[in-house]
Parts: sequence; structure tokens; C-alpha cells
Amino acid sequence: MGPGDLEQILQGLPYDDVPELLTSVRDGEDAGVYLLSERLAIVQTVDFFPPIVDDPATFGRIAAANALSDIYAMGGRPLTAMNLVAWPCGLDLGVLEEILRGGREKVREAGAVIVGGHSIEDDEIKYGMSVTGVVDPERMTAISGARPGDMLVLTKPLGTGILATALKAGLVGEADMNEAIDSMCALNGPAADALSRVGVSACTDVTGFGLVGHLYSMVRAGAVATDIWASEVPLFERTIDMAALGMVPELRFKESEGFGSVEVAAPRTDPLVVDTLFDPQTSGGLLAAVAPGDAEALIGELRAGPCPRAAVIGKITDGLEVRVRILDRRRD
Amino acid sequence: MNGADVDARGLRCPEPVLRTRKRLAETPGAFTVLVDNPAARDNVRRFAQTSGCSVEVVERDGEFLVSITPGEGAGPVAAEKPCPASAGAACTPAVLLITSDELGTGSHELGATLIKSFLYACAQGDDVPGTVILMNGGVKLATENDETVEHLLALCERGCEVLACGTCLDYFGLADRLRAGRVSNMYEIQSKLVGAPRMLSL
Repeated sequence: MGPGDLEQILQGLPYDDVPELLTSVRDGEDAGVYLLSERLAIVQTVDFFPPIVDDPATFGRIAAANALSDIYAMGGRPLTAMNLVAWPCGLDLGVLEEILRGGREKVREAGAVIVGGHSIEDDEIKYGMSVTGVVDPERMTAISGARPGDMLVLTKPLGTGILATALKAGLVGEADMNEAIDSMCALNGPAADALSRVGVSACTDVTGFGLVGHLYSMVRAGAVATDIWASEVPLFERTIDMAALGMVPELRFKESEGFGSVEVAAPRTDPLVVDTLFDPQTSGGLLAAVAPGDAEALIGELRAGPCPRAAVIGKITDGLEVRVRILDRRRD
Repeated sequence: MNGADVDARGLRCPEPVLRTRKRLAETPGAFTVLVDNPAARDNVRRFAQTSGCSVEVVERDGEFLVSITPGEGAGPVAAEKPCPASAGAACTPAVLLITSDELGTGSHELGATLIKSFLYACAQGDDVPGTVILMNGGVKLATENDETVEHLLALCERGCEVLACGTCLDYFGLADRLRAGRVSNMYEIQSKLVGAPRMLSL
């Protein structure tokens, strides 16, 4: 569902506002944060989806990295995870074992532990996790804190939705999309550590609503606006080739209400690149607003370490009518 | 709304594009594709434009009728620009399938010499094949063998599309050593071979 649809449904439901709940469901926050004591809160999240690659262990790794990411996006540390499995009757259980093995591998890498799970029968394979972590409420990175003048940092390239569609169509093989597969398998933990050392105003991760959709949630929650510099946004290899062949998945944010607050002012940018800014991502990178003085050093650290293609892709502004403006290139 | 040449309603991406692609490859002339969601509409348009066609979309009752008119020299495009030179200008429509790094059986040494001179002759000759497909041991010609790489590059420059089977490159551990042409997959190779007006196998 698009963020607009979701918003509409949530508006119709009673909202349980208890003082211990530090996040608002209405902000499109990545995970729920519940205060346990003055210095300790639990962070909870859940995510699952059908296979996007053929190799089962790789799918397990991607699904786990994707679920763990929401904890990192809040500045938290994952502790426990529960597997969620939908499995077609009669399908080879050896495949499931491989998926779970891949998932476990990533959970262990994150320093967390799998404590159980739940499975149901379904027509289509689905796998994912519910993850619980902890965060110091003082150091939590909410989606809402972005300030005008902040620089926007993105830690992974875009294009996983387009490449996964091309893979499904047989136009690329898994060998052609190694960069994207490695990126989807990579935990956002090390990038989150780098962000937390610098200190960020706001943070989220880029997933199903695409870069523009998640950025829209961030600036709306912070009552600010933003410019994206299209030429600065890193894309995976082959993404534009495949978009040109019609391999773009449903751009859910473009069909949502939020799209009304987006202005495309990029006459020199390939429309396919603009489309890619809306491409739904699986296990996408972290998107953070950081003080302008910190951005350069942060990018240096990210590129030398866990995120070789991290980039400053725009800045937070104070517009009101237009929340997200897409420009051709950098304009400070 | 009905009577469309390709009815892709109820299908999710990438299926509408694959059906459009098939129609474009198999039947000459203009045609229409009927889809029922914006994602499919946009993708069919993207694909058709990339394939050199002109595109018009009419919306009615939540469905989209996409009219596609092939342009000059339009056809289903490959995943990438094949070679620096623009493809096809001076080429014949022939597709050449090479499945070994030798030509013929009898002597390995002779076979290796023959394939070299054959590719040289192709690269120099008047009639350049439009497509060369390398499979199985044939992929070695575009990776390990300096002389045949040179002939294949010469073919590329004259507009020939050189495709190397990705599975075969992987099998021989040559995936990162392709020096002429580009990596392809079974889907594309199959569609080239089946759609070829003239196919030569070595």
C-alpha cells in the first residue's frame, strides 16, 4: 500500500497514545519505540515479503537484513528475532531450510539471536522477521528531527526494485546484479554506527515507498521540505538499462496522495532516473539528515568503510507547499 | 474496451512488457496493447519507446489502450548497446551460433586455426552477420584468445552484435574476462535464434 492509503486507514482507527510510546504511528516511523526506564526503550519492527532472488539462502539474508534495518534506522541495537514463514503445501522443505539458514546468518552477524517463529500455509512463499531491539531514548534517531540546512545522506544506491523485476523477466541473471544483491544482504548496522558517532537530526531507511516516498515521510514529520539533486543519487549498475526496457515495478508512492507535494524541476535529467527515485527498495540504505558541517567527514568515513557508494543527495529546506523538489544537480 | 491485439489485463509487471516484446518480435506493423494498471501502461510505453516505436495511450474506464507503431528499423532491443558503433547498418540479418573454440572435428590444432581465420574472414568480408552468439566453449573466443577477441571487436565495430552466454562464462570461470561483445542470457539468445531469418551454426 502507498503511504497515503495507509494514512487514511490509520486515521479511521483509534490511536492509543500512551506516555511510554515514544514514536507516533502517524509519522510513518520505521519501528515502534516503547520506554521501559529512563535510559532504556525497546524497539520493535516486522517485515516479510515473497522471494526477490532465486537463491534461497540469499533470499534469507536479504529478508533478515531488511527486517533488522528498521532497528538500525531508529539508532537501536537488535537483540532478538522471530522468523515469519508462509509456505506452499508440498514444496521442498530443503529450500526453507536454506532460507532460514541465510536469515540466521544475518541475525548472528547483527549480534542478535533467533528466539522462535511462526509458519502458515500459503500459495506463495513469503519470509521475513519480527525483530526486537533496545535504544537509549536520548540517542534515538527519529524520522522527525530534520532541520532546514541539513544535508541528506544516502548510504546505498537505488534500483533493487527495477533489477528484481528484470530478474523475474529473465533479462538479467543474478550474476549481472551482484552489486545490488551484495548491497541488499549488507546490514545497515555499521552505517548506523557511523551516523550515531556524528549525530544526525533524523534518520529512516529506504524501502517500499522508494527514496522520494520515505523522504516525504521524513520532511512531513519534521514540518520541513527538501531538495533532491538527481545527478548525485547513486544507482546500481544496469538499473537505467532495465528501466528503459519497461522493468519498473509499481511505483506506489506516485499513486499516493503524498505525490501531490512533489515537484519535478529537473528538465535535464533522464525521466528514467526520476522514476528510479520512486523505485521501491528492498533492504535499502539509511537516509539521514545531518548538520552541514558534519556531512563531508561522514561521507568519507562511510565510503572508506561499510558504504562505498554513500553520497550527499540533497538538503533540507523550509518550503511548505512543495515538500519534495527534484532538481537536476547540486544547488547549495 | 476490447479488440486489442495484445490483451494484458490482469497481468502484473513484467508480464505485459514480455507479451508486448513477443508481439513486436513476431509480427510486423502497428499493434495495440490493453492494460489495466498505470505501472503496466508506463512500462509498455518505456519499452516501446526504447525499441524505437512511437506510442500513444488512450484511457477509458480505468483501462489503458497503448497503440504502438514501429519506427524505421525498430525491433526488440537488447539489454545494452552492443558495441560502440551503431548496430545493424551494414549487416546481414544472419545470426551465427558458435558453440566451440574450434571449427570442426579431426584436429584440435587445425580447428583452432580454422576458427581464427573464419572470424577474420567474417570481420573483413562484405557481408557482416548481424549477430554472433557464443555458447559453451565458444565464449573462450571472446575472453582468452587474443586473436579471436580482436576479430570479434572488429565485427562489433562494423555493427555486429556479439553475445556471450552468461551461464557459459560462469561455467568456465570467465565471467569477469569478457573482452568483446556483451553478456547475454538464455531468454535473449533463444529469442534471437528462433526469430532469426537465417541462422548458421558452427
